[in-house]
Amino acid sequence: MTLLTSPLADVLRSRPGTRQELNQMSVLTQVPDPKPAETLGLADLSYLTRFGVKGPQSASWLSAQSIPIPEQPNTWAALPEGGLIARLGRSEFLIEDGPDSQTVPRLAAACNSPPAQVYPVLRQDAAIALCGQATQNLLRQTCSFNFQSLNLTEHPVILTTMVGVTVTVIPQPKSHHPIYRIWCDNTFAPYLWQTLAEITTELGGTIIGTQDFIPYTGQMP
Amino acid sequence: MKIMTCPINGPRPISEFITAGAVKPMPNPQTADDLTWADYVFNHDSVPGVKREWWCHTPSNTWFIAERHTRTDEIVRTYLWEAA
Repeated sequence: MTLLTSPLADVLRSRPGTRQELNQMSVLTQVPDPKPAETLGLADLSYLTRFGVKGPQSASWLSAQSIPIPEQPNTWAALPEGGLIARLGRSEFLIEDGPDSQTVPRLAAACNSPPAQVYPVLRQDAAIALCGQATQNLLRQTCSFNFQSLNLTEHPVILTTMVGVTVTVIPQPKSHHPIYRIWCDNTFAPYLWQTLAEITTELGGTIIGTQDFIPYTGQMP
Repeated sequence: MKIMTCPINGPRPISEFITAGAVKPMPNPQTADDLTWADYVFNHDSVPGVKREWWCHTPSNTWFIAERHTRTDEIVRTYLWEAA
């Protein structure tokens, strides 16, 4: 079986820690000292499976597949089996599975012969996650958008730029500090990651594995 | 920092936007005579004032119309093409 490669595989290759094969991808799951992530943690979640669809009929097609549709553009909703759906603009959607759900393979199979005005979108994004009490500090240094102005109960999706890279950001309210999910084009991923990693280190944080990230997420959608 | 309001994404720094120039109705290239087509291609309204322009919020690829005063650079309002 062919092993898939994270867009961040090269920059994470020399990182010490435990690796597992998840969704046919070698994934950094645990690092020796994840404690500084309470200040600021940076994790690669690119192994989660993703599916994109756009077109005037994409919302009705997703509804027919029993997927809940966020009503407003640039909002997201949790999927019943785990994972999330983000509405990007008016007629484009990003669906991402959680660690244990299987929604994306089902949608991909159903979209092999899509109906008219439904167009599948190849999503090979890098998926990054931020956690910890210093996330706002990092965001202020890298992004011109004021994330503190958001009402997180409205489930906002932010399409903006971070250190010059176009990103999709979803802040998720958690117990102490929100976590931030970030997606970007895979070709920009090493640059974005290295920049975020340098700032994370400066602020006293660390790179963590997917298992280390779970305590910050609760039940990750 | 200069702020522009995208009709979909809300207020954002101007660095997230690009412009594609003034909104100009295109004559039918199959039926327009040379004079009309040359006027469309080469002549532009350079008198300062509030002009309608195409702008795009690049992170979301949202195209919209902005009414901008070309002397003061004041953005009067922004809206989607469908709302024009």
